[in-house]
Amino acid sequence: MSVNNNEIRKIRTACPAHCGIDACGILAHLQGDRIIKLEPAEFPNKIDRRICLRGLSSLDITYHSDRLKYPMKRVGERGQAKFERISWDEAYDIIVENFRSIADKFGWRSIGWVLGGPGAGTTKFGAYLRIASLTQSTRVSAWGYGDAGLPCGSRVIFGSQFPYMYLFGKFWQRNWPELLVVWGANPGESMPLQTMRKIMDAKEAGTQVVVVDTRFTVTASKADEFLGLKPGTDSALALGLMNVIFQNKFYNIEFIREHTNGPFLVRSDTGKLLRGKDIGDKKANSYIIWEETSNSPKPLRKKNVQSASITGTYDVNGIECKPAFQLLKELTHEYPPEKAAEITGVDANLIIKLAKKLGTTHNVTFFTYMGFTRTYHGDISLRGLCSVASVTGHVATSFSSGYLPAVLNWDPFLKAVPDKPSFHRLGILNLYEAVISGKPYPIKALWFSFINFLNQCVDHNKIINEFYPKLEFIVQTELFMTPSARYADLVLPVCSFLEFSDFVSHPYPYVQLQQKVIEPLYESKSDVNIVAGLAEKLGYGDYFKGGEEAMIDMITNHSSLEGYNRETLGKGAMLLRALPEGGNFPLNFRTPSRKIELYAEQLVEDGQALPVYLPPIEAPITPGDKKYPLTFIQGHSRFRTHSMFSNIKSLLKLNPEPIVEINSIDAEARDISDDDIVTVFNDRARTTLKARISESVGPGVVNITEGWWIDQFKEGSVNHLTHDIINPVQNKIYEPNMHMNDVAVEVIKYKEGE
Amino acid sequence: MSKRLGLVIDQERCIGCDACTVACKIENNSIGHWIQVETRNVSQKDTPSGQYPDVRFEWLPRLCNHCSNPPCVAACPNEALVKREDGPVIYIEENCDGCQACIAACPYNVILYNQDKNTIEKCNLCVHRIDKGIQPFCVICCEGQAIYFGDLNDPDSVVSQKIASREGFQLIPEAGTNPSVFYCPPKPRNRL
Repeated sequence: MSVNNNEIRKIRTACPAHCGIDACGILAHLQGDRIIKLEPAEFPNKIDRRICLRGLSSLDITYHSDRLKYPMKRVGERGQAKFERISWDEAYDIIVENFRSIADKFGWRSIGWVLGGPGAGTTKFGAYLRIASLTQSTRVSAWGYGDAGLPCGSRVIFGSQFPYMYLFGKFWQRNWPELLVVWGANPGESMPLQTMRKIMDAKEAGTQVVVVDTRFTVTASKADEFLGLKPGTDSALALGLMNVIFQNKFYNIEFIREHTNGPFLVRSDTGKLLRGKDIGDKKANSYIIWEETSNSPKPLRKKNVQSASITGTYDVNGIECKPAFQLLKELTHEYPPEKAAEITGVDANLIIKLAKKLGTTHNVTFFTYMGFTRTYHGDISLRGLCSVASVTGHVATSFSSGYLPAVLNWDPFLKAVPDKPSFHRLGILNLYEAVISGKPYPIKALWFSFINFLNQCVDHNKIINEFYPKLEFIVQTELFMTPSARYADLVLPVCSFLEFSDFVSHPYPYVQLQQKVIEPLYESKSDVNIVAGLAEKLGYGDYFKGGEEAMIDMITNHSSLEGYNRETLGKGAMLLRALPEGGNFPLNFRTPSRKIELYAEQLVEDGQALPVYLPPIEAPITPGDKKYPLTFIQGHSRFRTHSMFSNIKSLLKLNPEPIVEINSIDAEARDISDDDIVTVFNDRARTTLKARISESVGPGVVNITEGWWIDQFKEGSVNHLTHDIINPVQNKIYEPNMHMNDVAVEVIKYKEGE
Repeated sequence: MSKRLGLVIDQERCIGCDACTVACKIENNSIGHWIQVETRNVSQKDTPSGQYPDVRFEWLPRLCNHCSNPPCVAACPNEALVKREDGPVIYIEENCDGCQACIAACPYNVILYNQDKNTIEKCNLCVHRIDKGIQPFCVICCEGQAIYFGDLNDPDSVVSQKIASREGFQLIPEAGTNPSVFYCPPKPRNRL
């Protein structure tokens, strides 16, 4: 080789770990063909240079001695992890043979692709969508494994998958508010760089920070005020806040009239919105308001919106009607601060103080994420939060297209052949029933990629006893023999992120190239190349010609990314184009009414047209009244990204084993001391681990951070305890979520042999 | 006046993430952790003090203080520990016989014994980096951007400014060691 082995070359890449939006730029130091060091890479703006403890430890994944090195087929029973080395060619032949025979019997849609979190990666996800589209098989959406509750709520109130751009777009542009309310999220551990740093920058610049959460987190520790509430009671808090806001007339009437459906008249008899046809207007479906100037019902027009009444009761041709806002106001009458305090556990004075602050502060930003929406009514929790932001007028948008800052060209993946049908779609929680009961149609084979399904999804015993046995064929692409991989029939070795190229559309306001630093180790391949190899055998090879590079070109091929390509991105992160002078995206909502829907007509029959408070389905928020008196929640740990990094020795040295955090009052009542081994259990199962007495959780709540591998517990695991109950409203709106933070348990001292 | 290189660690911005610990170990290929993040006022790491919900977290990354009057240097019989003129207290591995007198002398408990090599090890303020004009690795890897490096003798340096404006303090001042590692305490809360 001509390269001097001692010479160190540096290659800029990006970490796509599933913290996703942090997407740290990484500078890899390469000596010969070995990466010897990773360090944070520069960004156009110096302050954005960053890395985290996991990113720093990535070489421990790439060079881990437990890496899967070649394709393997199962030779023992599922779960025994007995495998035999095979060649890629053999692996592909086995897959094609199984897929074809299953497709012959049940159709291609009985073959599903279960794609977990691709993190900041794009083409590794896109490649699977493309093959699913070509074969018209089933794409199993993974939103439902914890991340569907928030989209359900956001779709209802804002008409978008995510509420982020409306709530904190400006914050990400370093436009600091006077008051920042972090609600139900812990960016201090889950997004330390993209968000937590900004929170501290804002605080340094004078922003007052309030954190609302069920745990005293790292983020809460930096707050000026912490509101600790019981899990799943967020909408009661929101109603309590609005009660004070309405009582004191702190709401922003102009904003409500202009941007929400608060002025829309609602029929008292049906709960439906009054329409043009009801008052003989020629536009049968127009929305009707009560115009104050003429004291009469009128179809909503641009010119009369500011004279719309938002309160009162009106008689319209003998039909009693009220503006939607009036109904919301009446609902909040049931939640004076004392009542909200009783339900949520938050001090009533704090509720009053926060409400007054929200109503009298000019510039407020709400930051939120998924955690608090992992309860049965998590979608309503989100709507409650967004309602508070909306009635006080603290909704704005400063970047478009939802979550992704740039518009990416997903078309070639979502619909590989434009004039042909594409893949079928199933939510991951709907997958349970499809596999177990064949409804709405049978699923017989599953391909899992970047997902540790058994470890991370609800109700372990159900998966083992009812789900896996119904599957004729299971493929898993993986780096390691994870708890899930043990149950696969075929295991395919995949590259670590330093061994392949991908396009990374984060962190806002940048896009980056994840550049291959070294050739794939052993016989591993990137997901794109794994799919390309399979496609070749299935007769779709042409659609994957050019491999990773071609896929990247496909995804960047969009007018919003002109000039952004592999060549230009190879030099470093690129800043997305600035908005035009004075630019601000107009407030647009893709709801049926094109307004913020404080009142959701689509949910009248479900009794959820308003952001009502409905108790959690399992979490025993009232002490002493249930068989299992403790609410079990799963926070995130900075030592892992979900179940990634769980097997990294350097991190295990700092955080060696799972612990259950329990409040001192609950511990004392159960005679539990610090470091005791305890069993956490409910009717479904039990898990045994070390106890940590901690005031980070309130009485009645226990926390085990998610992501530990099953074999790292003395017995059981977090998802032995969780349930697969489907919320039918979420099922109707979008897809049902797994309610990992809505679980009841009891904790006892562990006794050997019991 | 000569330089006095040192660090300022801002507790207001420290999120206790341990990235400094991980970064340092990788950069220096050490056996132990030369920086360890302590959770203050509690016996268990990462548990808050107080009673829920009136609780707090306060983290304190601890490392060699690069003292102006380093007791470890005085205690070392072998010239394995040297106080550099520009501030860092460095150890010279080949001069160390593993006697551990320095460990006994250090009031901060930040010198580690490396059993494999029968030597001590500790933070060298990344002299291999700062001598090339680049910052210590913990500084550039700190998630909270809470660690500042600079010349404490230069009143205009960021470190000096931080100490002046934020009531910077040293650990165990009564030991008379005059550390070159300063801490800025958390700011008082602006409650609702």
